Amino acid sequence: MAAAARPGTGAEELALLEKLLGLPKGNKYGVQGERKVPVLQTNNGPGLTGLMTIAAHLVKQAKKDQLLGSTAEEKAVVQQWLEYRVTRVDGGSSKEDVRIILKDLNIHLEDKVYLAGNIFTLADILMYYGLHHVMVDLTVQEKEKYLNVSRWFNHIQHYPGVRQHLSNVIFIKNRLYTNGH
Amino acid sequence: MRLRVAAGGPAALKVLAAAGAAAAPVRLVWGGPLGETAAAVAAPLPGREPVAPTPVIPAPQQGPPGLLPPAERPLAQLSPTWVPALELDSGTVLFSPNAICQFFFLARGEEPTDLTNQWLEWEATELQPAASAALYAQLVHGKKGLEAVEALGKLLAHIEQNLSRRGTAYLAGDAKSVADVVVWGTLFPVLQDETSLPSEMQALRTWFQSMTLSEACRKAADSVLMPKALLEFKSYLQKQPPPCLAMERATSN
Repeated sequence: MAAAARPGTGAEELALLEKLLGLPKGNKYGVQGERKVPVLQTNNGPGLTGLMTIAAHLVKQAKKDQLLGSTAEEKAVVQQWLEYRVTRVDGGSSKEDVRIILKDLNIHLEDKVYLAGNIFTLADILMYYGLHHVMVDLTVQEKEKYLNVSRWFNHIQHYPGVRQHLSNVIFIKNRLYTNGH
Repeated sequence: MRLRVAAGGPAALKVLAAAGAAAAPVRLVWGGPLGETAAAVAAPLPGREPVAPTPVIPAPQQGPPGLLPPAERPLAQLSPTWVPALELDSGTVLFSPNAICQFFFLARGEEPTDLTNQWLEWEATELQPAASAALYAQLVHGKKGLEAVEALGKLLAHIEQNLSRRGTAYLAGDAKSVADVVVWGTLFPVLQDETSLPSEMQALRTWFQSMTLSEACRKAADSVLMPKALLEFKSYLQKQPPPCLAMERATSN
């Protein structure tokens, strides 16, 4: 079932990220509230709360700070798409919400390789995990309609270490409808 | 860089306060998706504050609908609802209010920490939806005082607990950070009526008042809210669909 392949809770997604970053296992996660916000438990004091926050913390722990962007501009852009992920992608559940998200991303990715431009960042990783269940269900026609999203998604799922056990989403190389616009 | 804000758009407050607090040299463009009025003014520069209060931020003006000033490209090419928007000199457009605030602080070397990240994420996912609902209840349904901020109760308690447990003057430590500006900007329209602030939340009250009295926040509030008070917000909100909290949304259409 598609549901089984979906990185459902934040904790599962963070486990995928840990592995991708090459961090040793051992972090303990809980969930909080109705939205099931992930919480990273720590031995001393209160833990860290929130997918974006914990993900950025793990990246720094793995000393891969470049995944958060290098310049002020890149860092802000990464933050923006992480926020988009936790507010719009996670908050949106209707077909209409999904359509708007794909449309937004398709326009944004028109002239970019990655969400933050030419560098692969945490925003690509978390957006990929967050959209996996959406992309799995798209029809061939929809994949063509959101061509830039499809190209980006296919690129990210082949990025070393990202996909792991998640299902590979198939994209057709040749366009079926040449006048698709 | 150009910062586009919508007159009466609630997020205008936090981005203007952040630009002021971080002394970012921005050109302001007032206007919604339909019209833009370019008003070139630099935000306060670092250094001494001027003695006399100078209006560094021009009053909101609505541009003629559908007409763009010549030689001005429209900002964000994305969904037109995305105001505020910050266009950087590179051409990159930031559309998330929190990312815009973060950029201003990053640009002067203030890096995010686990704590500032956590406050920003909490603000975007928890506080913001609840504050919009509370503001709607106040302005559109005419609820007053504590009744109007009912939906915010737990969230205000969260701030109170964090401030009193850490014993710091600001949310992420002893110095003001992007977290304070972002959280204040969302709370101010809802809490400026003093009766809305629960009296037992002493740490929250102290923090909130010190933020409200700070130069950057005061100027931003003056330009966005005063003297027309919340009428701007009201007319903006009345044009929007009623906010609904994510958890209340139907899971299917």
